[in-house]
Amino acid sequence: MPDPALGVTPPIQQEPRTTGDERLLVCLDPSPFSIPLIRATKRMADAQQAKWYALYVETPSHDRLSPENQEQVAQALYLAAKLGAQAVKVSGFRIGDEILAFARENGVSKIFVGKPYARRWRRFLGTSLVDHLIWNCGPIDVFVISGEGEEEAPPAAAPGLKPRRLLREYLLAAGAVILCTGLAWILFPYLALRNLAMIYLLTVVIISSLLARGPALFSSFFSVAVFAFFFVPKYYSFALADSEYAVTLAVMLLVSTLVSGLTTTIRHKARVAREQERQTAALYEMSQNLTAINSLEELLKVAAEQISRIFDSRVAILMPKTEEKLEIRAGHPFADEDVREGMVAKWAFKHGHLAGAGTGTLSAVKSIYLPLIASQHVIGVLRLEPRQPGRVLDANSLRLLEALGSQVGLAIEHENLSRQAQAAQLQMEAEQMRNTLLSSVSHDLRTPLTVIAGSASSLLEGEKSLDSLTKHELAQTIYEEAKRLDRLVHNLLEMSRLQSGEAMFNKEWYVLEEVIGCALAQLDPQLHDHPVSINLPTDLPLVKIDALLLERVVINLLENSLKYTPPGTRLEISGRVEGRELLVAVADQGPGLPPGEEERIFEKFYQVAPGSARGAGLGLTICRSIIEAHGGRIWAANRPEGGAVFSFTIPLGEGAPLLVKNLPENAEET
Amino acid sequence: MNPVILLIEDDPQIRRFLRASLVTQGYDLIEAGTGREGLALAASRVPDVVLLDLGLPDMEGIEVIKQLRAWSGVPIIILSARGQERDKVANLDAGADDYLTKPFGVGELIARMRVALRRAGPGEEGKQETLHHLGNIRVDAERRLVFRGQEEVHLTPIEYKLLSVLLKHRGKVVTHRQLLKEVWGPSYIEENSYLRIFILNLRRKLEDDPTRPQYLLTEPGVGYRLRDELAPFF
Repeated sequence: MPDPALGVTPPIQQEPRTTGDERLLVCLDPSPFSIPLIRATKRMADAQQAKWYALYVETPSHDRLSPENQEQVAQALYLAAKLGAQAVKVSGFRIGDEILAFARENGVSKIFVGKPYARRWRRFLGTSLVDHLIWNCGPIDVFVISGEGEEEAPPAAAPGLKPRRLLREYLLAAGAVILCTGLAWILFPYLALRNLAMIYLLTVVIISSLLARGPALFSSFFSVAVFAFFFVPKYYSFALADSEYAVTLAVMLLVSTLVSGLTTTIRHKARVAREQERQTAALYEMSQNLTAINSLEELLKVAAEQISRIFDSRVAILMPKTEEKLEIRAGHPFADEDVREGMVAKWAFKHGHLAGAGTGTLSAVKSIYLPLIASQHVIGVLRLEPRQPGRVLDANSLRLLEALGSQVGLAIEHENLSRQAQAAQLQMEAEQMRNTLLSSVSHDLRTPLTVIAGSASSLLEGEKSLDSLTKHELAQTIYEEAKRLDRLVHNLLEMSRLQSGEAMFNKEWYVLEEVIGCALAQLDPQLHDHPVSINLPTDLPLVKIDALLLERVVINLLENSLKYTPPGTRLEISGRVEGRELLVAVADQGPGLPPGEEERIFEKFYQVAPGSARGAGLGLTICRSIIEAHGGRIWAANRPEGGAVFSFTIPLGEGAPLLVKNLPENAEET
Repeated sequence: MNPVILLIEDDPQIRRFLRASLVTQGYDLIEAGTGREGLALAASRVPDVVLLDLGLPDMEGIEVIKQLRAWSGVPIIILSARGQERDKVANLDAGADDYLTKPFGVGELIARMRVALRRAGPGEEGKQETLHHLGNIRVDAERRLVFRGQEEVHLTPIEYKLLSVLLKHRGKVVTHRQLLKEVWGPSYIEENSYLRIFILNLRRKLEDDPTRPQYLLTEPGVGYRLRDELAPFF
């Protein structure tokens, strides 16, 4: 995408010119004729499949152009960029030299310029731009395009300043010269004539450094005139007593005009540099701020805030909500007080073209609408309304705005891409997880199913031959395996619920004893071979938990211990308060955990010895999810006396109901 | 005459297994595959117990309960999947009598049905038993005395009331809400922690091992149940 941002800082690429590699350059000037000129060049470039540049040389006189003309320049650069040109603006003093320098640096083969229309006086002096180019172009072809029969109006020589302000500057200049004359009058008896002239020169320098070129020039002529009138004999007359004075005056006039010219030129340069620095700083800051952000909302917010600050305006970023409707996603909320605003916003969105106040397109509204472009699509519109009513942005600011807009567009594009990448990554992980789950679960489902099917078929076939004890045993097996299957399925469901964040925690104040009791009751048939000892202080405080989930934790921990410990060994459940937490431990007397695996056993699908024991390896993972959701910790360790111990903590909440007996006792009477 | 059981369940396999089990146990079974059909059969055949599945294709289980309760006091036992605790409570509060969590054993089902049949049985309405036995625990309702073995157990008034409410619904699940309402009064129905503390105290006074209670059973997420000699194992 051609980047209007390039208009701000010219990209000087040193590319050697090679034959057959045509490069065209169109030179723009502040007239409406630039537009047909650009189109003509574009046709030519298309025909030759050539790379092309659009160049505007900003001279000091650029500032004196009327806002309309400045706007025409901005529009021309914008159009060129849109049509595929590399649009460049450079600063310089001699247009011809700058064009040729640029052409040589970029290996341009053909230069297109408009037919000169004004500056006839310059033509008489033989220094028209076309002449200059033709004489100095060397191997480059210069094409002069006519205005296609249109009578182009020369750019209005409108002053850069408003007439009132200009008048004030002239008066200021005159006043300064008069003041200087007063000073000279006082010093007249003490100083030589040439030193008095110096005072006048100083005044002219001061004036030129502060005021526009016109008043500066005026001040040099005026001061020479006044000086000649008052201080050069004959006094109070322009007549000169000595011809030598003519030389003094001529040199004074020359020096003062030169100095005023130089000073204004320096001021212009400084101003251009300041402007460029401001733009560079703004762009740099924007790109700095946007890179650190990783959510779209935040990005839009920061961009809107920063653009708002740079332009002292209210800024909003609009993005399409539906096909037809734009909605404000960040920034200043605008009330849709004027339907036209919305229409211009939509127009800018649809056409991908700057529009609104001061842009020359649909400018009858208060705000400027800048399309934001990402991945070559318009994805939103930036709305900017200056805080001062009626203020419009000048061409420079408009370009800066465009540059910032394209930066925001790029940032959004980047953000979109990284989000897509992230989503793809997540999807891949989910896919992998599903596969692992499926392969792991299918094994665990098949084992009990095999037992159930086998036992049932034995019962069916051996109806007559089997004795009643065997029949009972088979039926018992079927029943127990079905229960196991049920627990497995339940764990799987719980897992997916916890993982997807769907789990709704229903926390209430519970007595730990009751939760443990429920877990034991559910595991009752399996606990026949394992004595369980419970060691809970009677004054354990209530804890705020989701009892069903915590019951699941205890069941899974007990089941896990049952799985890995030989029959007859004791299981111990204990609880106590430690600091601000309730610590619960489930200990066994089995072989313990393989050293170094204490943490890994909580990983999904992990099994100490794969395939050896039943269970999808989800039980402990679920425990961890649940405990962490309660703000606690869970860990495993080996006991010094042998066996493993699984411990978890639950934070003790504020405001737990007290275990005092008579608290709600007489509730009914009250 | 055999008790008549109405089974409202859309899954044919579950119906088949229940038919096989219940008929051999001496019950008459009528079956319905949808809620509408079930309501029609309930009206025409007047069953003694209704077994209601919560996942019916045509209407919500709670809707069936409400319509049935509009004109009938027949005991309703819900068959539900695990993880539907909120639904269970809502259904019980809407008028269902008890519930079973799938998968369940026939023993469990028959125990629940026995309790339900006894409670709906003739003469049961006004009959006030004065002496209750829970293993080695005796409750003398007339004198408001509780004995564990030969020893008298001192219960606070609320503890005694809690125990007597559970005795009244013996064998049947009683929701937290129901217990709080009957023991403490309607303004206390949200105070679940009161209930838990009192159950804990009651267990400590009556049970041999309060952590593994034999009589005062917890129905996780739903309420409590006092073990009945008709349902010794569940």
